[in-house]
Amino acid sequence: MLLEIRDIHVHYSGVAALKGVSMQVPEDGIVTIIGANGAGKSTTLRAVSGLTSISSGEIWFAGERIDTLTADKVVARGIAQVPEGRRIFPDLTVEENLRTGAFLRSDKSDIEHDLEKIFNRFPRLRERRRQWAKTLSGGEQQMVAIGRALMARPRLLLLDEPSMGLAPVVIQEIARIIREIVREGVPVVLVEQNAELALGLANYAYVLETGSVSLDGAADNLHENEHVKRAYLGV
Amino acid sequence: MTELLLQTVVNAVYAASYMSLIAVGLVLIFGVMGVINFAHGELYMAGAYTVVALYSQMNVPFLAAVAAGLIFVGALGILMEYAFFRPLRDNPLGGLIASIGFLLILQTTAVLGFGVRMAHIKPPTQAKIELMEGVVLTHQRLFVIVAAIALLSALYVFLRKTKFGWAMRACAQDKEAAALQGISLNQITRIAMFIGAGLAGVAGALTAPLVSPTPYMGHSVIVTAFIIIIVGGIGQLEGAVVAAILYAFVHTFVTTFFDGVVADIVGLVLMLVVLVIKPTGLFGAKERA
Ligand SMILES: Nc1ncnc2c1ncn2[C@@H]1O[C@H](COP(=O)(O)OP(=O)(O)OP(=O)(O)O)[C@@H](O)[C@H]1O
Ligand SMILES: [Mg+2]
Repeated sequence: MLLEIRDIHVHYSGVAALKGVSMQVPEDGIVTIIGANGAGKSTTLRAVSGLTSISSGEIWFAGERIDTLTADKVVARGIAQVPEGRRIFPDLTVEENLRTGAFLRSDKSDIEHDLEKIFNRFPRLRERRRQWAKTLSGGEQQMVAIGRALMARPRLLLLDEPSMGLAPVVIQEIARIIREIVREGVPVVLVEQNAELALGLANYAYVLETGSVSLDGAADNLHENEHVKRAYLGV
Repeated sequence: MTELLLQTVVNAVYAASYMSLIAVGLVLIFGVMGVINFAHGELYMAGAYTVVALYSQMNVPFLAAVAAGLIFVGALGILMEYAFFRPLRDNPLGGLIASIGFLLILQTTAVLGFGVRMAHIKPPTQAKIELMEGVVLTHQRLFVIVAAIALLSALYVFLRKTKFGWAMRACAQDKEAAALQGISLNQITRIAMFIGAGLAGVAGALTAPLVSPTPYMGHSVIVTAFIIIIVGGIGQLEGAVVAAILYAFVHTFVTTFFDGVVADIVGLVLMLVVLVIKPTGLFGAKERA
């Protein structure tokens, strides 16, 4: 397993947000985490990235324990995250945002090559490379956020609700990009409220309910699960 | 009359130069650390006393003393970050109070080391340029202007063209998102404190021969710097430079044609007018958390 989350607990000022969550992410493919508002999806990703400290349990990545590392060190190990709400830098240009993603890299020519690749993947960003990021549309901002994470050349990519607030066509575009990223060999952990989208993309899925994993299994199986259908697919 | 006008312009350019250095440092520290550094005027004072100690008392060449002022005061900035701002990172009010404490420490140290009396420094050069009949610019002042332009240009290039510059701006905008790019907050805040404090230090060092330093010289400077960053828009580096120029021109002209007290009042009125017309300052964005 590339990433292993072992029985982690997280508390926010005494209140439990995660109550013993365990997950496994293999070397390839997409693992999705679905669940209602406040179930603890973002908290799980934040714990992996070292933004939120866990009160018990362990997180292992590529054979190394990472739950005591600070966020920048987790990135150095190879985990990039596109956080909830995108969190691009509004007063940096598009290009500066993307280059910031490569902060830890020193392979100059490879950085230029990757930047070119991202502009090929998102032609609209190339046209806007000198524009302040805050002037972009929501979909374009999501592309900057994904591009910025890819500039780190991650070994694992965490995506927190990439479809949030986007129009259906844009969501389809994002879905296509996620598939491409995985095909190029970067495994993805995808957090989504849009369960239909998530289960369609993923190989494996976890359902989080109030801080615990209530169900997990192959995405296709969960898609047919009665409880999942009723609670998350609206059928 | 023309001579007087032109001479006043020259004086204002000089004032704008060192005020920009101080205000930009203050804005940089506020942007990255989120704390208002009340000790900023005393960092300026520490820069001036570096020149008093090294150049006046120990006969170190003036330029070397100025460089030492930059490095020494920059190091004081790192010390502040390490001792106060880092432990108080989630507590901007605590940081502000700690900076007031540090201000008093610096002031007391200066009094103990150099006494309360003004330190008179023999200018390293008496040479001057006569721009035209009756309009002079001393080399000492020209030097301040050139240094300010050079340092601020270098800072601009650093912030816009280097990855540590992008990282510093990223940290000022969203610390968590910056951490998610692998940027170490500790490292960036250390650099920001060094630069921000160092700019105040170099302003003090450069102007020391022109102002006769006292341990209390930081007071008036910090008030001016506050007006400048409020006029420019808190957290806006370009705003700080433009506001420093505006303030310096207004203040210098009013001082010349009326007097210094009226100039101080006009400076405050300028701030109030800007606050009424555009509460976020000339360069301030719309509300941003
Ligand atoms: N900074 C915080 N301080 C206190 N409580 C928090 C904080 N962040 C999250 N929580 C709480 O932790 C629980 C889990 O939140 P989390 O953001 O992980 O949910 P989520 O599954 O990502 O929800 P959503 O789909 O709305 O993004 C919620 O009850 C939330 O209120
Ligand atoms: Mg969430």
